[in-house]
Amino acid sequence: MKYKNIQKKLRIDILEKAFLAGTAHPHIGSCFSCIDILAAIHLFEMKKKDIFILSKGHASLALYAILHHQKKISRLQLDSYLKENTDFGLHPSGRLKKHIPLATGSLGHGLSFAAGVALGYQLNNNKNIRRVFCLVSDGECNEGAIWEAALFASRHNLSNLIVLIDKNQVQAFGRITEVLGDAATKAKWKAFDFSVYECNGHDMDALDSIFKKIKRKINKKPSLIICNTKRALGIESLEDKLESNYASIDSVLFEQAKKSIQQL
Amino acid sequence: MRTLFASALEKLATKDKKIIFLTGDLGFHAFEKIKKTLEKRFINAGVAEHNMVTAAAGLSYAGFKPWIYSIAPFVTIKVLEELRNDICLDRRNVKVVGLGGGYDYGIAGPTHHALSDVSLMLSLPSMHVYAPAIKEDVDPIVNKMYHSRLPSYLRLTKAHECFVAIPPYSSVRHIQKGSNLTLIVFGSIIGKVSSVIERFKGKVDVWLITELPVAIPRALITSIKNTRKVCIIEEHNSRGALGQHLTQLIIDKKIRVKKFIHLSAKGYISKKYGSRDFYLKESGLDEKSILKILEANV
Repeated sequence: MKYKNIQKKLRIDILEKAFLAGTAHPHIGSCFSCIDILAAIHLFEMKKKDIFILSKGHASLALYAILHHQKKISRLQLDSYLKENTDFGLHPSGRLKKHIPLATGSLGHGLSFAAGVALGYQLNNNKNIRRVFCLVSDGECNEGAIWEAALFASRHNLSNLIVLIDKNQVQAFGRITEVLGDAATKAKWKAFDFSVYECNGHDMDALDSIFKKIKRKINKKPSLIICNTKRALGIESLEDKLESNYASIDSVLFEQAKKSIQQL
Repeated sequence: MRTLFASALEKLATKDKKIIFLTGDLGFHAFEKIKKTLEKRFINAGVAEHNMVTAAAGLSYAGFKPWIYSIAPFVTIKVLEELRNDICLDRRNVKVVGLGGGYDYGIAGPTHHALSDVSLMLSLPSMHVYAPAIKEDVDPIVNKMYHSRLPSYLRLTKAHECFVAIPPYSSVRHIQKGSNLTLIVFGSIIGKVSSVIERFKGKVDVWLITELPVAIPRALITSIKNTRKVCIIEEHNSRGALGQHLTQLIIDKKIRVKKFIHLSAKGYISKKYGSRDFYLKESGLDEKSILKILEANV
């Protein structure tokens, strides 16, 4: 696939920062499950005036890596990740309003915020209505506020809202089916009156073609893409494992992971 | 007060097209007119307060000035995290309006009462609290809130009857002169207080406070220093609101007082349901209880 190099590079960037963070738990599994989605949105789909909300704030390192790749944050800023007196913590702060409009980390907030912004952009009556992208996790769909936001988005015909679910099937202390069941199904989101799409969340071509479909659609429904992903994809020893959420990157794992990423 | 609030906001929103109003499915017989005037800028966000608060934060990001409304506990205690994370952390210009401060919802019961709303709101960064005492306060307060870019909370109640003349709006008002005891009242419980204070003219120095945090004027500090007896009355639990604010002031200023009385909401002593007056009586906030306290300490 034509995007392999970028997928590998972003993973290596994330891995290096995670390694330098020492014993911290930068949610490497979650960062690697959503990094390709972030890349597809930020590098190929978002226009200058569109905005992106990372509702699953624990994957902040993936967002910082993309923003750095786009030169929206400096090397110095990225290097301050998890250091004292940084703007780049384990969960994103709202201090960089242009690129990170909302401080997230407590799950279930991002979609409501995104819906509010999307409604605001519609009410502003611009000819080219700005779009709002929002990434949530499948585990996050446990939160009641997600479904309040879903009702709000469809009631207000927020066709400029594009929600993506990082469906890696694993949440903090169990697989989604073991915890509260699968809330990231086509049927559930269709029932909430979204235009629903599904693809492999690591296949940036597939994501790109769904974005094109969304552009062509004529109904006023908000859009939702179920992105089937794998936790920690690229680090073989952690792939699809619960512990990928809590792993620190020591020197042994760092070397193993670098080799593993190259096999992608 | 809610109809007065709606009129005040409607006036502002007619001029400022960035004002947007969200209600949590409430406003029957009160908001019909503002709904018509605001058209698309009037949003019934449904019985979904968590979303309403955060969507308002999003609307603020998009350049609007949202006002959100519900029964007081539903826009304060129920959504505390949304208020903190999505509005206050980034100091967004979102105004929170709660109807039914204190025991105002009476027989509706504890789920509808707001006895800790002020302390919860004051625990949030950048949040300012307004508690109108009388119906005439609503318009100036709404205007004051509008002219601030920071988040704030408006604690509405039913407009209770007041039996003394209240000066034009100010965050701290001197209601009656006296030299034996300094009485400081928060918000609309002034109605109950007003029916008993006139008989203590010259003895009880009465002050009315309707905003927190607030800078306490020198004249009020002087009053406390002179009388050395303080009585605070608020329809709110004892922690985190006016009582605590003044306690801190007395400590910070090293004022020596010989009597400190704090009359506050005591919760649900009998665990029975009743009117606002029923709960006020249980808490010692009714006219008779206030009268007794004043008689015993003047």
